[in-house]
Amino acid sequence: MSSANNDPTLLHSSSTSSLNTSLAENTTQTPQTPLNPAAILEKYKGKKDPNKVVVRFRAIGNAPILKQPFFKITASNKFQVVIQFLRNQLNYKASDPLFLYVNSAFSPAPDEIVSNLHKCFSTDGHLIINYCTSAAWG
Amino acid sequence: MTAPQNPITRAIWDGTLPIKFSLDSTEAAALGAKAIVEPYFIEAPRCSYFPLWTSQIRKYFVDMALNFIGDDAEIWYDVDGTPLKWHYPIGLLYDLHTGYRPDSNSPPPLPWPVTVHFKNFPADKLIKAQAIDATQDFFMSMIKEADFLRNGSTKKVMNLSKNDQTQLWDGLWSKNYDRFWSVNYRLVINDGQMPKNVPMRIYLPDNCPVIQEPISPVDENGNQLTLGDVLHQVLPELFPSPLPSENASASPVPVIHGIIPQLEIPIVWASQNLCYPDNFLHIVVLLGI
Repeated sequence: MSSANNDPTLLHSSSTSSLNTSLAENTTQTPQTPLNPAAILEKYKGKKDPNKVVVRFRAIGNAPILKQPFFKITASNKFQVVIQFLRNQLNYKASDPLFLYVNSAFSPAPDEIVSNLHKCFSTDGHLIINYCTSAAWG
Repeated sequence: MTAPQNPITRAIWDGTLPIKFSLDSTEAAALGAKAIVEPYFIEAPRCSYFPLWTSQIRKYFVDMALNFIGDDAEIWYDVDGTPLKWHYPIGLLYDLHTGYRPDSNSPPPLPWPVTVHFKNFPADKLIKAQAIDATQDFFMSMIKEADFLRNGSTKKVMNLSKNDQTQLWDGLWSKNYDRFWSVNYRLVINDGQMPKNVPMRIYLPDNCPVIQEPISPVDENGNQLTLGDVLHQVLPELFPSPLPSENASASPVPVIHGIIPQLEIPIVWASQNLCYPDNFLHIVVLLGI
């Protein structure tokens, strides 16, 4: 008896079926039962985009050219991973100067997320990264 | 040179936070501090950056007999064990890390307690500045990124004279509103053209990845989108409607510069008036109380 009083679904038992129908139709507009924001947050926190995006490297100035300029990089990575990846490809030490730019325009912070950069700045599905050994577009 | 009068950008520029800097106690002992070192207090503009205060903070603690001869770039800050990203504006860090809702009944956690570290730079969590002017470089890069979002190129920033570009940074660190805004308003107004995308980032609590997407300021019919429309579009589960919820205090809210803006404001207006000096609208989403 007491548990029935605490069960909110029983209070509307007469209209349950119609409520369910309207929920199914309108979930995107007005959810009747608000989801727990903390649970939603858990989802965003663990939301690691497993997809890979194509990064295209383009050398500027005297920077060495890569034989294969296209690479697939996991979208949830930070831009730092792209910087390190390019350094490895070029066999550059940490002390060798190397500057990376998106679309010959700006230098993202190393903690920016690759998927965000790809969503915002890709051209024909490729995130174009220009690199050089001296600051170009400062 | 004076900037166009805008009481909103002026109020945001003048916004400050009292901050209490304390030494990490184990580090203090290791660095030769004999007694308990009194904390250092500053009132920092919300739009400023921690590295702009580092030399002043360093001088205070070194004068208090702290033995430190390293580079300023070694010095870092944390709150409750979480390192603070020095390339984020101070006001954004406060809103993000305190999670303080301006509509709550409790007083704000001020002065904001921040711990200063002179050792053990967490290179896995923070970017290590390679040069003394790294903060300026990061700042200018953000302005270019914002311009690229608005126009699909950085032409507007690159067309500024070298002098005007320098004036943006100079105005910021010297806290000179007119110097900064006389140049910056040309960027944010975008010559009166509707931007392609609004430069904005959304921050959720608990270290969720930062959200940045191309956000058009208008819908397919050319109608201006509101802040509520954009939040609903990007985070439909947290903002099930573009309109304010009836149970306001239980619902997630956007916080910018320590205030909860109305969801009905056009997103372009928000971008032009409520952006940080780096030209981005940095929105912290806080959950219900």
